[in-house]
Parts: sequence; structure tokens; C-alpha cells
Amino acid sequence: MEDLTRLGLLLIGAALVNNIILVRFIGLCPFFGVSSKVDTSIGMSAAVIFVMTMATAISWVVFRALLVPLGLADFLYIVTFILVIASLVQLVEIVIRKVSPALFRAMGIFLPLITTNCAVLAAATESVKPGFFRMAIAYNYTFIEAIAYSIGIALGFSFVIISFASMRERLETAPIPESFKGAPIAFVTAALYSLAFVGFTGLFNI
Amino acid sequence: MERFLRDLVRGIFEQNALTKSLIGLCSVLAVSTKMENGIMLGIAATFVLVFSEIIISLFRKWIPSQIRIPIFIVVIASFVTVVDLTMQAFSPEMYRTLGIWIPLIVVNCMILGRVEVFASREPVIYSIADALGTGMGYTLVLVIMGFVRELLGTGKLVAFGANLIVLPPAFQAEAPKIFIMFPGAFLTFAFLIVLSNYLLALKEKR
Repeated sequence: MEDLTRLGLLLIGAALVNNIILVRFIGLCPFFGVSSKVDTSIGMSAAVIFVMTMATAISWVVFRALLVPLGLADFLYIVTFILVIASLVQLVEIVIRKVSPALFRAMGIFLPLITTNCAVLAAATESVKPGFFRMAIAYNYTFIEAIAYSIGIALGFSFVIISFASMRERLETAPIPESFKGAPIAFVTAALYSLAFVGFTGLFNI
Repeated sequence: MERFLRDLVRGIFEQNALTKSLIGLCSVLAVSTKMENGIMLGIAATFVLVFSEIIISLFRKWIPSQIRIPIFIVVIASFVTVVDLTMQAFSPEMYRTLGIWIPLIVVNCMILGRVEVFASREPVIYSIADALGTGMGYTLVLVIMGFVRELLGTGKLVAFGANLIVLPPAFQAEAPKIFIMFPGAFLTFAFLIVLSNYLLALKEKR
């Protein structure tokens, strides 16, 4: 039971309290890049949830089963993880194209972009080095915890990007000063949106 | 020589990766709570940028174009590992503050973008100019953001142990803390883009 509570806390903590976009600023490029339409942001979210969970699972196994026993963990983890993510994205793209052309049309164009989505690399890194999160404690996530953590991050990402897209659709018809048009007003909106997330800080720590 | 200077200056102002192309934002918004963090991350990213561009520009004629992206990423990741280990060894405190942002230099789209657009086509000497210019432009934005946020959010400016500016205690007690929290990052950046767009528009008019 206690384990379940812990997993739940980890999930909510990663999704809301430490929301990856608005609180920690990871993954801003897709956030501002594909958030002008609700449809595209849903496609991107689906792709991110899928790839992020798989990438974290594989990276965790590779780190524990390969890098640590061989003593390479300290200096090869960055290169390894980015290669895992890049090849995973390629693989997923090929499989989806064969298995479900409809799904491929929906999220196909977002898949290559995910390789340089820092959120995916951050999720993979933090699942094996939670120390980045809170340096004070030396703690290793178990496999299940790592998965819960990455799903939490991906859900938080999707929630914010989809709701932000619907805000931006309304902004297009709003009267905005000339020099604020486009990117600046999106940032101001993001600032106001992230104010809401200040309310979550200190809710609990993980 | 003239072209060297032109390539150098272009990256700092008119083609600034952050305010003009809006790439590589994540680290800037996250790290700019203090000015000294910004300076350190700026140096780290410039180092990676310069050496990646040198290596890729040197080998540009031998890199097959079908697999160029994985090659670029591996080169960048190697230099990021160098920074990661060096900073861990010589400045553990700064390493702890910057945390996940050091490994995330790999997926900074600014670096991959410059390597793809510039270094893979141009001679080494101009690639160095481009890398230095882009890196300085990035550092400049980091320093401005850090300056504004630290000064307004805490009422004083401390860099590398020295008090640079101290505002009156009355201001410090009532300092708008929102600037060092995450909404402040979006807000400061929004106004920075507005300012830079405005100045560039003025220059064009003249």
C-alpha cells in the first residue's frame, strides 16, 4: 500500500508540482513550436507519452544492466541515452508506419522532432540519476518508479501543451499591440499560466 | 578578415538564436535566476559550440549526408561529456546548481542548428567565428535575463562572491519575488523579445 502511495505521489509530483514545461522549462521548443493548433498539440502529446515512457524504460535497463557493471556509467551515459532515444524514434516511426497508417499520419511528423526534445532526455537521465532532482539524497529509482516518473512527466507535458494550444487559438482573434504579436504574447500568456502552478509548489516534495 | 567579423557579429545581434529564432530557450529561462549561473552556462555552451563546429567543419567533406545527424549528435555529446566531467571536478558547487542543464546541452537545438546550417558547409575559420558569435549572443541573453531577474527578485546582485549592486533594504524587504520564480522567467523574456524586435525595427527604418 505504501508503495502505491509513493508511486502516486511520484506521478502527481512529476506531472503538476514539478511540471516539466511551466515549472522546470524543459521542452519549451515543442511547447512554443506546435502549440498554435489544438490538433497538432494532441498529436505531439501522443508521440511524447509513447516515446518518453519507452525511452526511459530502455535507458534505465541499459544503465543498470550495461553501463554500471562495465564501469562506464559516469562518462558514457549522455552519449548512450541520446543514441537510445534517436534509434528508438527511428524504430517507432518504422513500426507505426507499417502497423497503423492512420496513427502515423496523426503523429508521424512529430516523431523526428522528438529526438531533440530535451524533455525526453531529461526524463531518461533523471530516472537513473534522481540526484539531479534533489541533490541532498542519494537514491535510485526502481524500474516501476522510473516508469511512473516518466509517465507523470509526459502527462504533465500533454496537459499543459493541449490547454495552452486552446488559449493560443483564442489569442489569434484578440487585439494585441503590434510589437507584442506572435512570440511575445505567447510568453506573456505562459507567464500568467505558470502563475497558476505557483500554487502547487510546496504541496509536497518528492 | 572582414567576413570573419561579419560572421561573428551576426550571431550576437541580428541573428541571435534566442530572441530571433526562439531556439535553445529552455536552459535560458531555467538558469537565469542568478547572473553567475548564466555566465557559467554561457561559457559551457560556447565551449561545446566552438569545438563541435571545428570538428564537423574539418570533416565536413567526409561525412555522408544520410547519417549526418547521428554523427553531429555524437560529436556534440562527446564535448558535453567533457564539460560535464570538468565541471564536476573543478566546480562541484556550480555543477550542482546547473544540474540537469549540463547534460541537456546535447539537445540544445541552437547547437545542432548551427552545426547543420553552418559548420557542415563552411570552412573552419568562419565556423569558429559563427560559433563564437552564436555563443556570445546566447551568453549575452543569459546575462541580461539573470541581471534583471536577480536584481528585481532579490534586490541585490551577487556574482562569484562579490556584491555588485545592493538596492536599499526597503526594496529588498518588499522585493517582487515572482521574478526569481518561474513566471518571472517567461515575463522577462517576453519583454526582452519585444525590446529586441523594437530596436531591430528602428534600425531597419533608418
